[in-house]
Amino acid sequence: MTHIKQIPVILDGDPGHDDAIAWTIARSSPGLRILAVTSSAGNQTIEKTTYNALRVCTLIGLDAPVARGCPRPLCTPPMNAPSVHGESGLDGPALPEPAMEVESVSAVELMARVIRSCEEKVTIVPTGPLTNVAAFLMAHPELKDRIERISLMGGGLAHGNWTPAAEFNILVDPEAARIVFESGVPILMAGLDVTEKALILPEDFERIRALGNPVSDIVWQWLEFFYRFHRKLGYAGAPMHDPCAVMALIHPEFFTMREYYVAVETCGDYCKGATVADWYGVTGKAPNATCIMDVDRDAFAGALVELIAAYGKEVPA
Amino acid sequence: MKKIPVWMDCDTGTDDAVALLLLHASPELSLEGLSTVCGNAMQDLTYWNTHRINGLAGKDTPVYCGASRPMLVEPHTSTLFHGENGLGDVDLPIPESAEVPEEAAWEALYECARKQPGELRLVATGPLTNVAIAFIQYPDLPQLLHSVLLMGGSAGPGNVVPAAEFNIYADPHAADIVFRSGATLVMFGLDVTLQARLLPEDLEEFAASGTKAGIFVRDCLQGYVKASRRYGMTAACMHDSCPVMYLIHPELFTGRMAGVAVETRGTITCGKTVVDLDSDLKFPFKNALVMLELDSKAFVSILKSRILSLG
Repeated sequence: MTHIKQIPVILDGDPGHDDAIAWTIARSSPGLRILAVTSSAGNQTIEKTTYNALRVCTLIGLDAPVARGCPRPLCTPPMNAPSVHGESGLDGPALPEPAMEVESVSAVELMARVIRSCEEKVTIVPTGPLTNVAAFLMAHPELKDRIERISLMGGGLAHGNWTPAAEFNILVDPEAARIVFESGVPILMAGLDVTEKALILPEDFERIRALGNPVSDIVWQWLEFFYRFHRKLGYAGAPMHDPCAVMALIHPEFFTMREYYVAVETCGDYCKGATVADWYGVTGKAPNATCIMDVDRDAFAGALVELIAAYGKEVPA
Repeated sequence: MKKIPVWMDCDTGTDDAVALLLLHASPELSLEGLSTVCGNAMQDLTYWNTHRINGLAGKDTPVYCGASRPMLVEPHTSTLFHGENGLGDVDLPIPESAEVPEEAAWEALYECARKQPGELRLVATGPLTNVAIAFIQYPDLPQLLHSVLLMGGSAGPGNVVPAAEFNIYADPHAADIVFRSGATLVMFGLDVTLQARLLPEDLEEFAASGTKAGIFVRDCLQGYVKASRRYGMTAACMHDSCPVMYLIHPELFTGRMAGVAVETRGTITCGKTVVDLDSDLKFPFKNALVMLELDSKAFVSILKSRILSLG
């Protein structure tokens, strides 16, 4: 087997159907090495997303430590998305009960432990609200330089989804997002600008269903569940918000990216949680984020199907 | 054919000047009155500049004095784009016939609208302070107007700060009042006005005509083009001419109805027009026709021929 250089990553998310699919493709990608998994409160409460994280890791055979994240946003009241992900946060097909225990340390301390002990710089992949990452940056500023970059799903330069101006992950914890965007750590931002174009279409569901492996059997049902909500809004397929943050690391060539200075609004009647890009360079500030603006949809869908097909073969541990 | 009655509220201003020249050069429109506001420059400049442009066009439309400052925020002017005098530092005489009416801008506007219910088009090319003051005093005014055609805002990025366009940023609270007023609103934001570009060679064509108005347009926009270069554009965008052009050539514009709200309490988004075109969760209202596309070529050629017809 040829040796592939692996990017060491921490997966931080609030599964959530699209988080679960993001983790599924991260696990089977030969280009990534998953050091740890941390749960965040967002799509559902921290109890539910932590339980879901353990169930997803069990399903995909991911043998990495899992820690529970911060129970609520830094400054604002908690908010969940049962309309999208159901009461469990991951409604749909039955999942295996967790085969592992949650770590005794918090998400922030687990991040610190694995980043400190990793010889290379570590990439953090947050696919939920940024509470844990912000808390980590506050708690361990000495480890900031050990982060290679933060590849996150969140925000949108053109528009929002949960409000006209704000995307859900940023809206849930705008103060945390502000800390992350102002941190100086390189940010790769998969916002709605790209994630709403990264559609998995109903015919792709069928391709995945036809794979007939234990993971694909679940994934196509997740997609169907996720699509049910989005079809009502007029989407032609299931938008793969969170998988974009993973796919951008393994297949950057699928994406169109632009550098911008991006700031986060934490106040306002209409704009709380908005990610504001300095499009025309009026602030004179240097870019702090690589913003993903577009995707080769067919290539994206093809790679996603292939990474799920890998579960029918030997998945390297 | 009956002329379309128009009131223009402006902060003259180089591109307001071009818009006003276009208005004066449009025989199908009847310009009933002008009012001025603090915006591109302070009120004392925008007021007399408006008289100056009347003089250049050989007209004596009454000019009413409006608000000298925004409702709550501090005045924010733009000498970078409009020069020290608001007209790109071009000297124009104040016509001898210029008079200062006693009535305030909002009184005169209300009276004019009441004489012809449902007919008067209000073109607003500056911050919306005067319009908001009028709407607060005369709650029936939004319905007495045919429509408010305003240059301001953006469905995308801003131009004065990353989130906000100049006119809305300069008085967000006034804009909030206007967008919530129930008036029929047509919004000409940066989405469409950045397509209304005059290139340096277009400006030379204006001047080559040898007309007073043509030479003025070239001269007053020199600084504007220079300032635009800083932001990677080599053109002067005729933001304020868009609503006037729409009155004479609506077929050049394409837009969509949308919910538009103005942020007044954000830290970095104060003055942002939140235009709900594509989000999953829509505003429960549609209060403005938001213009998005312009036939740029036709725009420039009509603007040129109209203004040069002034002589």
